[in-house]
Amino acid sequence: MKSKRNIYMKKIIVFMLCLCTSQAFSQYYKEYNWAKKPTLHKLSEKEAKESSVGILEKYIVEYKVPTFGNQVQKFETTHTIARVLDEKGIKTHNTVYISMYDVIDIIDIKARTITPDGKITLLNKDNIKEVKNVEEYGDFKIFAIEGAEKGAEIEVLYTLEKEYSAFGRDVLQKSYPIRKVEYNFIYGEMPGRIKAYNAKGEFVEKSYNKKTGKQLVLENIVPMIEEEYATPDANKTYVAFQCFGPGTNVTDSMLWNNVVTNITQGLFPETANTDVASIVETILKEQKTDDYTKAYLVDDYIKKNYTIVKNNNAQLSDIDYILKNKSASELGIIQVYAHFLKAANVEYMPVITSNVYEHKFDSAFFNPGALREFLIYIPKAYNYIAPNRIDYRLSEIPPSILGNTGIFVNNKKQYNFYKITQKDPDYSRIVRNMNISFKEDMEYVQINQEQEYYGHWAMSNRAFLNLAPEQSIKEFEDYLTSSGIEDKVVKKYETKNQEMKQLEYNIPFLVSTSITSESLLEEAGDSYIFQVGKVIGTQSELYQETERINPIHMQYPNRYNYEIIVDVPAAYEVEGLESLVIKKELLNEEGVQKCKFESNYRLEGNKLIITIEEFYKEFEYDISEYEGFREVINAASDFNKAAILMNPKE
Amino acid sequence: MTIIHSKFPFAFFLIFISFAFGQNDSSEDFQFLERTENIKINFNKGDFKIVKSIHEKAEYLTANKLYFANETLRFDSFTKLEDIEATTYLPASDKTLKVDYFETKHEFDDGIFYSDQQTKNFTFPAVTKGAITNLKYKEVITEPHFLGMFRFGTYAPTKKAVLRIEFPKNVEIGYKEFHTENISVNFTKQETKNGHIYTWTTENVEKYSGEDDAEAALYHLPHIILHIKNYTENGKTFPILNNVNDLYSWYASLAKQVDDNELDKVYKIAEDITKKLTSKREKAEAIYNWVQENITYVAFEDGLGGFIPRGAASVCNNRYGDCKDMANVLYVMLNHVGIPSYRTWIGTRDRPYLYAEVPTPIVDNHMITATVIDNDTIFIDGTDSYVNFGMPSSFTQTKEALIGISPERFVLKKVPAQAAEKSKTVIETEINFENGTIKAGEKRIMTGYERVDFITEYLYKKKNNTEEEFLNTTLALGNNKTKYQNIQVSPVESKHKTLTLSFDLLIENYAKTIGSKTILNLNIDRALSKQKIDIENRKYAKKIDHQFLKEYTTTFVIPDGYTVTSIPKRITYDGKAYGFDISYEQKEGKIIQHKTLYIKTLRIEKEDFEDWNTFIKKLIKAYKKSIIIEK
Repeated sequence: MKSKRNIYMKKIIVFMLCLCTSQAFSQYYKEYNWAKKPTLHKLSEKEAKESSVGILEKYIVEYKVPTFGNQVQKFETTHTIARVLDEKGIKTHNTVYISMYDVIDIIDIKARTITPDGKITLLNKDNIKEVKNVEEYGDFKIFAIEGAEKGAEIEVLYTLEKEYSAFGRDVLQKSYPIRKVEYNFIYGEMPGRIKAYNAKGEFVEKSYNKKTGKQLVLENIVPMIEEEYATPDANKTYVAFQCFGPGTNVTDSMLWNNVVTNITQGLFPETANTDVASIVETILKEQKTDDYTKAYLVDDYIKKNYTIVKNNNAQLSDIDYILKNKSASELGIIQVYAHFLKAANVEYMPVITSNVYEHKFDSAFFNPGALREFLIYIPKAYNYIAPNRIDYRLSEIPPSILGNTGIFVNNKKQYNFYKITQKDPDYSRIVRNMNISFKEDMEYVQINQEQEYYGHWAMSNRAFLNLAPEQSIKEFEDYLTSSGIEDKVVKKYETKNQEMKQLEYNIPFLVSTSITSESLLEEAGDSYIFQVGKVIGTQSELYQETERINPIHMQYPNRYNYEIIVDVPAAYEVEGLESLVIKKELLNEEGVQKCKFESNYRLEGNKLIITIEEFYKEFEYDISEYEGFREVINAASDFNKAAILMNPKE
Repeated sequence: MTIIHSKFPFAFFLIFISFAFGQNDSSEDFQFLERTENIKINFNKGDFKIVKSIHEKAEYLTANKLYFANETLRFDSFTKLEDIEATTYLPASDKTLKVDYFETKHEFDDGIFYSDQQTKNFTFPAVTKGAITNLKYKEVITEPHFLGMFRFGTYAPTKKAVLRIEFPKNVEIGYKEFHTENISVNFTKQETKNGHIYTWTTENVEKYSGEDDAEAALYHLPHIILHIKNYTENGKTFPILNNVNDLYSWYASLAKQVDDNELDKVYKIAEDITKKLTSKREKAEAIYNWVQENITYVAFEDGLGGFIPRGAASVCNNRYGDCKDMANVLYVMLNHVGIPSYRTWIGTRDRPYLYAEVPTPIVDNHMITATVIDNDTIFIDGTDSYVNFGMPSSFTQTKEALIGISPERFVLKKVPAQAAEKSKTVIETEINFENGTIKAGEKRIMTGYERVDFITEYLYKKKNNTEEEFLNTTLALGNNKTKYQNIQVSPVESKHKTLTLSFDLLIENYAKTIGSKTILNLNIDRALSKQKIDIENRKYAKKIDHQFLKEYTTTFVIPDGYTVTSIPKRITYDGKAYGFDISYEQKEGKIIQHKTLYIKTLRIEKEDFEDWNTFIKKLIKAYKKSIIIEK
């Protein structure tokens, strides 16, 4: 009762103030406009070399309690000025897509170009096209910028009134440099919160026509660089905000509670659906005790009988409809798992999070946009089901999630936040054993190889060979038979444990190959250079011309153990073996190896035995460790260059 | 070699051939038991009503590819979809489930900014191993020029494919089969009371799956193209698409509708660009360069608007347009300054047809401008921002162009393949060996398509990588430890005939020093070494984007105190249409390697694969040869 009264009181006050000073509460966006007489901005020498430069990107998000009625209004204004300097720059800025998601009213959309010789072309609003229901993104207004030429500035300004929603998120870092970003968040008397992520600046309180707000000003925002072993998209500068109705007192924990209550509807059925129960009987057969096997069989069954559908059909989250049509939304499918796991008497916990490459989940600031991925944790097996990944079966957490924080919900609908990590650091590893011999008077090299792939390696190899298009499978077979040997001839290629369904925990995927190559053996007078390093396949190399921006994030912890046995022909002796000895490691503060590459050799009679051990026990490294990490990664590509000289014996 | 036209969609006419190869996928997981198309042509008082009744029955042989259950049907302002009925039959339980939810959507396309094409999306329910899906719908075609094509094969094996067309006696139909040599098609003609029924039936057609560096699906996939030739009414015959004349007069009638308001503004631009120039060639080149630099490619497909170029004045004012818009601007400007130029329709290399084979809009998907200067026909493609004047765009080489001379007259002319000499890269490298490390300076001068490809990659493939990483992955010189420094790229605009790229290289771990000997391979660029063809598994000819020539001069400065103990012998290969020559000479304290490499064909036919592989193997062998210096 009290809060209602408060709103009422406030409304009266607002109303009275409006009568007295209608000017004072006018909305900020209404006064905001672009320059009457635009002129080109002066560029620095460095800026002039870019394809395009954002001169200004200004955002105004304004919440307003209306004079009449009680529905809070939300207005969003976007104003951008970009200088385009070449064809690529023009193409980046000359098509504009404005999402109509939640839009009630378009207050205004305008755009203009200012050419170097001062000509101004104003957008003909008749050329704005409407596009309905685009893929999963809703409706759009789109238009092409008229009159854009090299050296011109493209200016776009629009204001939309949106359906009230308490939340929002805007990414401020783009694919081009921006001179100035200004973010204005106006919430007046309402409880508003805003947070900037990965930003070199902070929000400061500001008054907008006597309405309270916060402003963030950032200067010289460089585009995010695509770095390897990183999550660049998730590390972009962005802001997230909340704004609730006047007089309310909504906390994050209320919001999380609310989400958990909503999302977990139907995820903990009292009893399993009877049809499901009888299916579970047949798929489990005698298997009644072990949660790993039971959950695995359930996962495999659902992935072979259900389809996840992304459209607006509301029935896709209705369990009866789903069970009948075997089609479900991404959340609906979790209900299916719930019934199956319940019937199989497997303990499970729904997990809500997001893809770590897209978004770093923040448990300290509620943002519904972060609730994008639904998983199921099987506590007794310490493994996860990823329902929307047909390439996965019950396993350690898939790399797209590993390292993110998630909400874990138990059957009492209590929740906790945990960082999602991998239990077994040796889960994913590769073992390779090679035998190398020289044939037909040093004409070519023959390599017989046995490979064992474990963990995520095994999972993705199986998925590739079972699910990928034929063309990609061919490329993949090239990888499995040693990539990077250009004249390779594959004599034998056999795989084992290739089927997707593998009930035995972490059973390896096996490949047995035999290849020949002439190019690995280079002539140098009477001697031969054997490019032994190339037999391990192309290795990635980390370049370092610019300062590293992102901390290191590997897909998952890894381990490699290789043994290469070279039969040295009796008539030759080997030289230059020192290039086979490499050791690079990165230690933690206690002196324990976090990652390592080590290769060595020994000679036993005419056999040269080379061993390689490489591992990454952790998947995350601080940016300050980059140099050490890079040395270990690059050590493998150093080995890739290793060559030995074979001289005829005197 | 990049496929640059991936940048330009040229979907000028593409809307009518909605390729179903989005799910171009493999194997025995999924098959079509039946694919049937019944076309019924009704003709009443000068109006055509064309209805295609389509039936597709498919079977899931495994549960691996349940994503095939997601179906997308396309339509646009020339087609309507009606009576869609989709069901899943489950033999195991003898149950049939009906699709009860259809959604109409738009798709954003990388290449086409706005299209009136929409999709009907739905998902077959309850698919699993053994499931059989049935899809029936009608496609109503409102424009008699777009009868379309039928594919006997598709991305999954087809047990039975039937095409049936029923048409009245006063209508004449034309058709042509493509790539049906290896399947047996049973064709029957039947006469009914009011008309004719033609039926083509075939069984057990293999699935189609694409290959790298191969031509588009339509070069291989068995299919048939149909067209309405003419109709007779009251004793008089009216042509639709009887021959190329009819196609052209239809095109010409559409072209006539171009808005020619305010052409004065366009004329003024043309005059300004050319006022200081005297020869026709110079003028034409200046106009082309202006369009390349000032009009940005943005494509709209909106009903017949997809066929009628927008007015030249509006395009010049907006500064954007698609192929037909740019072609029209060039046409207007060139003619205005006294250079006779013509609107030209053409299919890119993705389209395998000749106009005379199937005089239909399926043949082409692109528009350019043709001009004649000193008896020389020059093809000008406004959409290729970087090709030099005088060369056609790479992806139109060898294609037949339909050149509109006047509203009544056209000529067909083939766009010539451009000789290797026109697309040349000259590479000069000086290599120094200091303290175990290679230090080199390199300069590359590119012309023709070599230049165009480099620019396109440099601008668009580079994305957010650094210049160094870009060069490291595209040129791949030395090894993957090669450092590129002092990278310089000359201006890229098409008014410049050459592109010069220069940089310094630092390559560690490259030279092998063992005892007093240092072994060094001067082939830091191993172009083509990865091009061996897998003869056993490859199905289709290898497509080459353009012919080219590379000339290398690599100078190795013999370090003080060293003597040269071994220099490789000359190795050459002069094959059918490709070859190389690598030779070495020692003079004045230097070892100079001369290397030339050329390809003078746009396709390696299957029967030439052995020959091609011999070439590549020999080249790899030659790349293996090192020089040895000793202290």
